[in-house]
Amino acid sequence: MSVTATPGEGEVRVFADYDGDFVEEADVVVVGSGPTGAVVAYELARAGRKVVLLEEGPPFTPEEFVLEGAASMARTMREGGLRTTRGYVMPTMQPIALGGGSLVNSAICPRAPASVLDDWCTRFDLARTHRADLDPHYDAVGEFLGIAPTPDDVQGPRNLLFRDGCRKLGYSSEPIPRNVRGCRGSGECFTGCRNRAKQSMDVSYIPAAIALGARVLTSVRVVKVLANGRRAEGVAGRVVEPFTGRAGARFRVNARVVVLAAGCVATPVILRKSDDLANASGQVGENLQFHPGVAITGVFPDRTHPEFGATQGYQSLQFLDEGFKLETLWAPPAVLAVRTPGLGHALKARLAEVPYSATWDAIASCHRSVGKVVPRRRSMDPVLHYRLHEEDVKILQHALWVLAEIFFAAGASKIQPGVHGLAEEMSSVDQADAIRKAKIRATDLVCGGNHVFCTTRMHGDPKQGVVDEDGRCHDLENLYIADTGIFPRCTGVNPMYTAMALAHRQAGVIEDRLP
Amino acid sequence: MPIRVLLLAAVVALAFWGLRRLFGGYDVRAPRTTLAAREWALVSAASDAMLPPGGAIAPSAAEAGVPGYVDRYVGSVPPNMRLLMRMLFLLFEQATLFLAAPGPGGRRRFSDLSVDQRVAVLERWRTNRFHPLRLAFTSLRAILCMGYLADPEVLRILGLAPWDIDPPVAKADLLYPPIGRPRSEIRHHATTPPSDGTPLAIGGPIHPDYREARS
Repeated sequence: MSVTATPGEGEVRVFADYDGDFVEEADVVVVGSGPTGAVVAYELARAGRKVVLLEEGPPFTPEEFVLEGAASMARTMREGGLRTTRGYVMPTMQPIALGGGSLVNSAICPRAPASVLDDWCTRFDLARTHRADLDPHYDAVGEFLGIAPTPDDVQGPRNLLFRDGCRKLGYSSEPIPRNVRGCRGSGECFTGCRNRAKQSMDVSYIPAAIALGARVLTSVRVVKVLANGRRAEGVAGRVVEPFTGRAGARFRVNARVVVLAAGCVATPVILRKSDDLANASGQVGENLQFHPGVAITGVFPDRTHPEFGATQGYQSLQFLDEGFKLETLWAPPAVLAVRTPGLGHALKARLAEVPYSATWDAIASCHRSVGKVVPRRRSMDPVLHYRLHEEDVKILQHALWVLAEIFFAAGASKIQPGVHGLAEEMSSVDQADAIRKAKIRATDLVCGGNHVFCTTRMHGDPKQGVVDEDGRCHDLENLYIADTGIFPRCTGVNPMYTAMALAHRQAGVIEDRLP
Repeated sequence: MPIRVLLLAAVVALAFWGLRRLFGGYDVRAPRTTLAAREWALVSAASDAMLPPGGAIAPSAAEAGVPGYVDRYVGSVPPNMRLLMRMLFLLFEQATLFLAAPGPGGRRRFSDLSVDQRVAVLERWRTNRFHPLRLAFTSLRAILCMGYLADPEVLRILGLAPWDIDPPVAKADLLYPPIGRPRSEIRHHATTPPSDGTPLAIGGPIHPDYREARS
């Protein structure tokens, strides 16, 4: 293997730039360019460190965005957007693109509730992860990304109807804070923001890191962390062709510090494939949690113009203590239609009602439901095992009932609860009472596996966790993990902002420890 | 010896008949690139039953080009997912040979059934108490609906065609070339003013690719 590159001016390298095996040298190599990896890379580049940021996916510009939902997912998501859990079958999506999930998520940025972080500290032997500890880091990230509540003029009817329904019932609701500047309400967050308003990592932290000298290598798949005793020495992998994943040239990055920010699913796979590195606790890949999500579509007498408005513009945190958060939702029609009940002319009639509809969802804190990530043989893809606990099904059932209530309070003429065994359409709150009373099993629900957590969890006790409070692996001196895998429990709210705040803190720790 | 030969011939003939019944006799002229002829037949037959002509949205799945969409879509997903989809199609196509559709001649491949029988079979899967069968139905419906709602005319009828947006050129767009192309082919060399947050006009212009009516 010949050395063909050395750190220097910041730049992006893309698939077409690689003409053979290569080796890079860096102070810090960051694996994964999603929200956490981008923050770490930027902060350390800002501190003057030689940073190499690695990303398996390609960079997307608006010309590359595909407006049709399924085709877009096939391009931007691992396994074509068709990845599911085993055991309890639930779709879950992990992006593969420069900027990671931030390219195709709804930019939702709530801070974790103080009670959740306090609970983490108590249960997992942590001392410095209370809300007050993280607030300065939230502030720094929030200022950089322009995180602010969604303004009313780009909410659109389907978001404001949710607000109205909550108000009528006396439930709290608020505009969702998002990392967005200049949203025009195109509702295209999931296929990539053509207005370049969403401050995804590829348009925010990553260009800023490059301007400070970071080198960003795209279309490279890390397959192994190289280690010697208690020290990581770098990472190795292959160049991969965009979309096909065909492996090409080999590469190696030698670094004084390795930061894995490949995501809660990919990071444990890399560790397990690296001769079970950092796994003295046996916790790598274990404790997998999601925020399982359910949704209801409601039909209103008047056109709601669902195509207009922030993709997810309103939320209610009223029921966090009961285990769920409520949100509004829009997605490309082809994706939303996946939930539409019926077949034949009945199905077409329901599809024709989409312009009069709104879809609202609930994500739940399902602490009792856990699974694990296991690497596949001869592949860097994972197998995700997961079971949805019956007590957590009750949380989702309660959430569905509350959503139904809000729909009818907002003036919906009917709803589609999407629960097997119940009526496909309900036209009054009395009829919807069946949602509350029914004996519902996990398999009766259509759940989505939102947000992924805990597969390399932090714990003060090295026997019970993979990383310490700073995200440093208990087993190695200079290997850090900076994605939602380090969360010891799910947050109950969308995790991106908290993960970035933790990454911001971690970057400071790494800088302090680097000679 | 002649009896052995006769028996062997009978076994071979039976095997040939069985294989043909399972996998043979499909129209191989269909304009497909990824799907096998039997998969194309299944997707076409299921499309007709799932999203028939007329009703609240006039075009049928066939008119909306759903089989062609599925052909392209299956070709675009990773091999492991492509295999899963193929297994799904095989399951639907062959299941009625073992669990007959209602009505006379119900023990045929799905694509050989009448439209009414196909609807009845899909309805049986859709409402089945056995979760994996419902899951299979939901997967098939999802694929077909995705294709239906990818059709520009269907989206235009619904008023859900994408906006006509002229993307601003951000600093980042000066860094990234088209996917698969070298950096020498970066499209943009100067930024334009960022979005000022003016809301899009409901009912405003739609994306050029979605404007033309189907001939």
